[in-house]
Amino acid sequence: MTLLRRAGYWEGTFEAMASPCSVLAEVASAAEARRLLDLAHVEALRIEAKFSRYRQVNILHRINSSGGQPIEVDDETALLLDYAAQCHALSQGRFDITSGILRRVWRFDGSDRIPSAESVAALLPWIGWEKVTWRRPHITLPAGMEIDLGGIGKEYAVDRSTLLLAAETQASLLINFGGDLFSTGPRADGHSWRVGLDDPTATGSASAGEIEIRRGAVATSGDARRYLLKDGIRYGHILDPHTGWPVPDAPHSVTVVANTCLEAGMLATFAMLMGKDAEKFLINQRVTHHVIR
Amino acid sequence: MQLNDKASIRRALAAATCTLLGSASQTSHAEGGDEKWRVDTSVLYYSEQDRVTVVEPVVFLRKTTGEDSFVNFRLIYDTMSGASANGATPTNTPQTFTSASGTSTYTTPAGKIPLHDFSDQRVAVAVEWDKPVDHLSRAIYGINASTENDYRSIGLSATRLREFNNKLTTLTIGISGSYDSVMPIGGAPTPMQLMSSVVPPPPGGEDDEGESGKTKLVTDAIVGITQVLTRRALTQFNYSIGYSSGYLTDPYKVVSVIDATGATIDYRFESRPDTRLRQSLYWKTAYHFDHDVMHFAYRYYWDDWGIHAHTADLHYRMELWKGAYLQPHLRYSTQTAANFYTYSLLNSSPVPAYASADYRLGELTTTTYGLKLGVPVGRTSEINLRVESITQSGNGYPADAIGIQKNYDLFPTINTTVVQITYTGHF
Amino acid sequence: MLARPLFILLTLLALPACTLTPVQPWDRDLLAEEKMQLIPDPVENFIDEHIYFSKEGASGGQGVGGGGCGCN
Repeated sequence: MTLLRRAGYWEGTFEAMASPCSVLAEVASAAEARRLLDLAHVEALRIEAKFSRYRQVNILHRINSSGGQPIEVDDETALLLDYAAQCHALSQGRFDITSGILRRVWRFDGSDRIPSAESVAALLPWIGWEKVTWRRPHITLPAGMEIDLGGIGKEYAVDRSTLLLAAETQASLLINFGGDLFSTGPRADGHSWRVGLDDPTATGSASAGEIEIRRGAVATSGDARRYLLKDGIRYGHILDPHTGWPVPDAPHSVTVVANTCLEAGMLATFAMLMGKDAEKFLINQRVTHHVIR
Repeated sequence: MQLNDKASIRRALAAATCTLLGSASQTSHAEGGDEKWRVDTSVLYYSEQDRVTVVEPVVFLRKTTGEDSFVNFRLIYDTMSGASANGATPTNTPQTFTSASGTSTYTTPAGKIPLHDFSDQRVAVAVEWDKPVDHLSRAIYGINASTENDYRSIGLSATRLREFNNKLTTLTIGISGSYDSVMPIGGAPTPMQLMSSVVPPPPGGEDDEGESGKTKLVTDAIVGITQVLTRRALTQFNYSIGYSSGYLTDPYKVVSVIDATGATIDYRFESRPDTRLRQSLYWKTAYHFDHDVMHFAYRYYWDDWGIHAHTADLHYRMELWKGAYLQPHLRYSTQTAANFYTYSLLNSSPVPAYASADYRLGELTTTTYGLKLGVPVGRTSEINLRVESITQSGNGYPADAIGIQKNYDLFPTINTTVVQITYTGHF
Repeated sequence: MLARPLFILLTLLALPACTLTPVQPWDRDLLAEEKMQLIPDPVENFIDEHIYFSKEGASGGQGVGGGGCGCN
């Protein structure tokens, strides 16, 4: 964790959810900046601990190892499951938190090792939100199925941290968890915050551009380092839960600006899931966006 | 995902995100961007044919003071002039009336409905604080005050709203109270006093204006449920009860006293009970068609003065092009007379405790036809113009009219025209 | 005398328990439009309430606390 004084604001950074996270706050004192940084850090770690599929003792693990038994969940998990269900309905099934088990056969390491059709097809019976019984507060996952909240966890953490910090201070804030970010307002002098963007076609983390944000959230769905390339065909990491295969003609990355990070991230994900129609979808939804193919 | 559902996925997603992040009051959170202020400025022109004319500029301001918190401010300035019926019936001779203190008189030609001239200005202000209490409740607190030549009012109100059922149902409870004082020009008459018994003060004496300060206390309470029925429909049911006590009589109105031939021989100043218990059941529904929106409301009202009223109101907003709209309006209301309402008093009958010939307490039907045109201005503002025609009628030839009275329309129809132009802006 | 209105009110209170399919949060788009508010134009509503208060014997029903006047 670091805290540095910049021109007119404090920049605090830490590592969480396998990403570099920063909190920029236009407050006067180091003590105040430290306090805000700690709040965001604690909240990010809390969400990571509670919902990461890599932990052994959290609610997600209990659900995923329930062997077909109903598990009672708390209010926060219930709200996230409701949200995932709504996104599933809105995307007509393309967004599906039960599709995580496909990672057992798909490893997006930039190589040319794509799985066999049989190994992908073998997983399909254990994919499908419609097979899950979610009746608040109990969720029943058929044995062999798993849920993965990785698709919304980081954006949720950004929005939650922003809400917590915004309740503590009137100062302008920019919270950035690995490229998913939220600004509560322009700088005191009226200028926007400026954030560097990753270039998805570069192999390193060289900044390829900057965005200016005054108020709102930005989220990016992209395959910067997660893809497979075989016989000249690029397989992006956004998988269609109905087929188990990557969505054809998906863009390299989609960046969306919206009122919250969850909304921006989900719109970006929906756009990726639309494959070749990503731009058309984003134009129809009238959001500020940037698509890289 | 339908590619032609313009922006609906985004809206739906925004709503789902609100629910997850716990923003309060999602159904009442109407669309809007970053704008903090809403301003409505309006001028009303109201004219009763041959009677009262009112010109009324109005300013409404709403400031967004926080996430879902607002302050509302209202300023109204009224100038009223013209004449209103004083309750006496027309008769075959000219009529002369005097104020309660005897300091002023006015006359009406034979055969005309007696009218009392007046001219008044009124200023009214109100402030309201509207904010969330917790993630399911809101509170609205208000204070209002008004003053005019002969009347002052100050009041408070508090309303609480709570959402249930995944924010599909809202329960509303509200109370309010106001303390009003009347300083009638020309003094407050003794109830049922004969006008012929009024003695003018000696010359050089003080004009009795406002010395007899009369007051009244008005309290109201409401309980209501608002329910989201379908994606297109919202409905509300309210029960209201109110109690007024104090000086409820109109100090300028009289009741004609007639003899056996139906000729007017004197007048009595009217008198109303000093308490009134009012109740109503109100139902309103809003329905969204593909583009148009319809609002329909019905109210049943009853009070312990014997008045029962049915009121039905319909607005249909027809979307035209590019945000412009045309909205026809229909309203129909009928009420029964108050139990102390009478056209006139027979001099040979005993004097009742209460009597009033104010047509507004009589058996009355009010019909309104209106049309409103709204046109957008820029991205966030609108100008609208509305015109309404209100007709009020009652039975001008009651069966128990006596003698000469049968020759006259004792309840003339009143036609009113309303024109209002409003500018609404968001900044 | 109070029985009939009370009965109507109790029936109406049972409405939320009706077995209509509950409206999902993502279907609240139309309801969020300003013109779908139960009082879409506060100025017009306030003016009309005032006009009919001064012209008729019945009043109220929508809310509390509008303020008094000498007009009735």
